[in-house]
Amino acid sequence: MTRSSPALVRRSILAALLVAWELVPRTGLLPELFLPSLSSTLSVLWNDWQTYGRALLVTLYEVAFAMVIACGGGILAGAVVGGFARLRNLLLPVVSSLYAVPIVILYPVFTAWFGVGSESKIAFAGIYAFFPVMLSTAAGIQTIDPQFLLAARSMGASLPQQIARVIIPASLPTVFAGLRLGGALAIIGVVVSEMLTAAAGIGYLVTLNRTILDSPRVFAAILMILLLSIAYYLLSRAIERRFVVWQSVGKPLQPAQSTV
Amino acid sequence: MIPAIDIEGLSHVYGGAEGAVAALEDVSLSVAAGRFTVIVGPSGCGKTSLLMMLAGLRAQSRGAIRVLGGPMPAPDPLRVGVIFQEASLYPWLTALENVEFPLSLRGTPKPDCRKRAGAMLELVGLSGFGERYPHELSGGMKQRVSIARGLVQDPPVLLMDEPFAALDEQTRMTMGHELLRIWSTTSKTVVFITHSLTEAVYLADEVLVMSARPGRIIDRIEVPLPRPRSYDMMATDVFGRLRDRIWQQIRKSEA
Repeated sequence: MTRSSPALVRRSILAALLVAWELVPRTGLLPELFLPSLSSTLSVLWNDWQTYGRALLVTLYEVAFAMVIACGGGILAGAVVGGFARLRNLLLPVVSSLYAVPIVILYPVFTAWFGVGSESKIAFAGIYAFFPVMLSTAAGIQTIDPQFLLAARSMGASLPQQIARVIIPASLPTVFAGLRLGGALAIIGVVVSEMLTAAAGIGYLVTLNRTILDSPRVFAAILMILLLSIAYYLLSRAIERRFVVWQSVGKPLQPAQSTV
Repeated sequence: MIPAIDIEGLSHVYGGAEGAVAALEDVSLSVAAGRFTVIVGPSGCGKTSLLMMLAGLRAQSRGAIRVLGGPMPAPDPLRVGVIFQEASLYPWLTALENVEFPLSLRGTPKPDCRKRAGAMLELVGLSGFGERYPHELSGGMKQRVSIARGLVQDPPVLLMDEPFAALDEQTRMTMGHELLRIWSTTSKTVVFITHSLTEAVYLADEVLVMSARPGRIIDRIEVPLPRPRSYDMMATDVFGRLRDRIWQQIRKSEA
């Protein structure tokens, strides 16, 4: 008997979940109000694609700006803080303890400052994702092997050469990890804030339809968020693989047979 | 003739006024051009500090260092090449690109880099592996790439800081033998640090024994074994007596 490949098992699990999603409400195990069937959820998306498309565009727009704050700012700040020991010792404990505060409690304040439009979502999601990205970048920068720099100096590298040819390429895995994390958190931040107070976006559709107990529409919105997150993850992994060949994120390459 | 390496009254103290640690104390030595010198000594005796100073990577507290007649205030890859314990290859570069790295820092034209780096990989027995990334190479192969990188700028002096320490015993012996082969074709002055007494005697023209901290040179042992060296020599009385003498010296210094 041959062992089935992990990819096959993964696909089978996914297929089983989708089938269950269709069958459990249809057979009456769960009422449609709690779990509408896959087909009725998809038919909402199909018939009402304009509403959902517009909501998706609003959400994407907010996520994009939040990512600029979170990833751009977080990676830069993390690199600076992580790169200088004095700054690190001064700031990291403060930032780490701030990180423990549930930032969502600030959201009402943000709506007061920025209104209920996209600005408050961008500000909230941006800050929500900023600190984890900064912390992970700061931690990653510290793990750069000091031997890399020592070797570069011994080969006569100037300071600009050390930065361009050693520090930047050595930080790429950290930067990509930051992008992945920041994007995922920005999506969460935007959707959560849309669910709390908003007049547009996918999170708003979730809340709106839940109050009128229209379950297929709620689940259609949830499905979209799910697909958005998965699409972002796959995209960021693909870019990472393209640029960070040596990390062998997927299957580790077999080391060559030693000739010595 | 001026020696390739000349060190006079070298001392080094780490840290501030209170936590000051004397790492090296009054170390003097001179190495003639083309000689293979091995430094052994207990852990923390300042061997690596000494090598870092020779490479211009660290400043000394007192004393003078001259390499090929001149001081070493900063790294000078055209005079001194350094090979580190961990191969310290850049994982984002292929083997060939790693060997090209020091050349490209100096703005050597690309085709020229390619040619010289390729020739070095061939010298260390890795032609055909140039496109591999370090994580696709074995430990011994990585260290070969590292040696190729140290040789590519053709520095007259090569410093090696326990380059084979991370390798298994068998690979280590083979690599030592390989190093002697490469050395015999390039006529470099080599200073080699190791913990292995067998490796020391097998490789060296002269073995310098350092004491525990603060590091001083407590013995110089000429190795009269003929070259090229072969594995059979390890079984000889001469080899055993030399290794024993080094061992006694290190033990005495630690007591």
